[in-house]
Amino acid sequence: MRGLFYQLKSVWKDKFCIMSFLLPIIVAFALHFMGGIDLSSVVQFHFGVLERDLSVRTISWLERYGSVTAYETQEELTAAINEPSTYMIGVISDGDSIQTMVSGDELDLFRQTADTLPALYAGRERTGQICVNILERPDMLAGFQNIFIAATLLVAMFMGCTFNAMNMISEKENGVDLVNQVLPMTRSGYVMQKIFVGFIGGCLSAVLTALSYFRLPWGSAVWMLVLIMLSALNAALIGLLIGKFSESLMAGVVYIKIVMIIFMAVPLVSYLLAADGLLSVLCYLVPSSAAFEGIMKLADSDMSVIAKDMLILMTHAIIWFLLYLLISNWHKKPGNEK
Amino acid sequence: MWKHNRASGNHACINRCLPGNTSKTQTGWKRFLFLCRKDCRMLAAGKFFLLAVGSLILYTLFINLGYIQYMNAQLYNVYLYDPRGTQQEVSAEIHPVASLEELYTALSLDTNGVGIDASSGTPSIVFYFGSEKSDNHRADYALSLLHQENEYSAQIAGINTRESKQRKEMCCELLFIEIVAVGFLGIASVLFKEKQMGVIRVHAVMPFNKGLFIMAKLTVFLLADLIFAVLLTALNIGFPDAVAILPAVLVQTAILSLIMALTGFGCIMMLKDFRQFSLAYLIIVIFASAPVFLSANTSVKMAWIDRHPFYHVYMGLKNACFGTPVTNPVYYICCVCGIVILFLLVQTAFRREMGKEG
Repeated sequence: MRGLFYQLKSVWKDKFCIMSFLLPIIVAFALHFMGGIDLSSVVQFHFGVLERDLSVRTISWLERYGSVTAYETQEELTAAINEPSTYMIGVISDGDSIQTMVSGDELDLFRQTADTLPALYAGRERTGQICVNILERPDMLAGFQNIFIAATLLVAMFMGCTFNAMNMISEKENGVDLVNQVLPMTRSGYVMQKIFVGFIGGCLSAVLTALSYFRLPWGSAVWMLVLIMLSALNAALIGLLIGKFSESLMAGVVYIKIVMIIFMAVPLVSYLLAADGLLSVLCYLVPSSAAFEGIMKLADSDMSVIAKDMLILMTHAIIWFLLYLLISNWHKKPGNEK
Repeated sequence: MWKHNRASGNHACINRCLPGNTSKTQTGWKRFLFLCRKDCRMLAAGKFFLLAVGSLILYTLFINLGYIQYMNAQLYNVYLYDPRGTQQEVSAEIHPVASLEELYTALSLDTNGVGIDASSGTPSIVFYFGSEKSDNHRADYALSLLHQENEYSAQIAGINTRESKQRKEMCCELLFIEIVAVGFLGIASVLFKEKQMGVIRVHAVMPFNKGLFIMAKLTVFLLADLIFAVLLTALNIGFPDAVAILPAVLVQTAILSLIMALTGFGCIMMLKDFRQFSLAYLIIVIFASAPVFLSANTSVKMAWIDRHPFYHVYMGLKNACFGTPVTNPVYYICCVCGIVILFLLVQTAFRREMGKEG
């Protein structure tokens, strides 16, 4: 217990650990109180028109589908269509009809929209008489916003990795590691203390981050807590491995950055590209994929397959722990010590 | 007096180490090359080149095997339930379904899809809520598929294809990430190593021009970044296209590389250790990259982004990759002024650091 107290004291004095701990919480607060970033422009079409070319009624019709920007000259309109960061569709009048213009490098979605727009314009009169039944589903924009917070939560959950790794490297650099070797403390006791410190740090940071943003019903909140605990346990174990094998602070920081990039990129890319089949199975090799999937499902109030994510995280925890023990034992054998 | 004697002693020692000094300019060049060689050795020992080669392989695999293969989106699927066959002129794009249950199942699996229920003879539209404007388009598009219209293709205004655009876009983003995030970390790790080893202390007593130390560092990092940019562009955009855009890309890479190298140098002079740098790094990378990427790659435009210096540099690089380099002289004047100011600040910090050490 006294050892644990010293471990926590050492983390408390480490500014890097404290900043790592606070960063996701600050980001979650910022996202919550500033209302996030306005993403409404991402899910709508952008049309570019020439000034005094289309009638007011046609522009109002286009505005039903997206935003409309008017340009003075054809050159300006062409430049805006070719601007690589947007998928603008140019619309020009053609007698009673319209013609469209695209840059040619857009996703098929925008090309098809431009190809079909004149037909939609021609049939605009008949659309008003049709009955439309809209089924409820969570707001798509809230879904986008949830990606931001899920990514932030992921950083918080896996912060235990930074805690452990930085703490262990500091001990190596300050010589505390050598002192530990002569203290009456078992190796398993030391490992348990380290896992506990990383686990508690990651859990606390993630819980505070989740509280800053999510307003979940009790049932989902309990699942979220379990998800956080399992992810934090995985992070603590990975941090233990990084701390053990990092020769210096710089090497440790590089390893942590690589791990964080992989942990953030794999679930995000897999989610955004809606990966399925073998690719989605391969993504589960990175523990953060299951955690990210679980958070997104909880945010969408869908608890159908969260048990699968829990199981994957538990399997990861067992594998990482066994890996640590295996490598530690191999290192301890005479002739293998560095 | 002591410092002077020590400096004179070292001067003699360095002069012996360096090849013959026939003239002042020649000696300056030789000293500069000597420093560059030393920095190259430091970078190689710090596995900086290995990290760069690893990044290059990783980025190339990502672009060729991942990004261009999977990054696409199609227009919504339309499902039609028409048991009585009332719709005669339906488009080939429509997916017919056999029952109402099948229609709802298809929609629940494909929530962007649109269902048309024509069981009563009059078509009605059903779909999951998306956003107000996109829903208007989904409904109208689905209805338009019930009527065969003449095939129409939109006019093409640009010169890029989807694949070439994606290759250029990702190449630009990864080059920016490499210089701002990965390379910046590499600069710091190497310089902190030198600081720890006492290289700055040694330089305080050497008869070198103090600016030479910084210039040598900048040259080595600049060359490394330029070679990286050439390889990344040639491997991912293709050699013939790369040749046309490379001059402009290299100019923008040089601007970004110099800014990041000088910022990294300044941070190292001002911060105590690598631990403190890690925090500064985190803040710089988050605040430099996140809003810039969001504004430059999506239609999300933040009102203040024009005041973000990295946004202009990133856009300069992006425009160069797309073959439309920035021609506004104000941009280049601002870049040169920024680099000169950074250089002067770094030089002052370096002199102060040497004063401390000496």
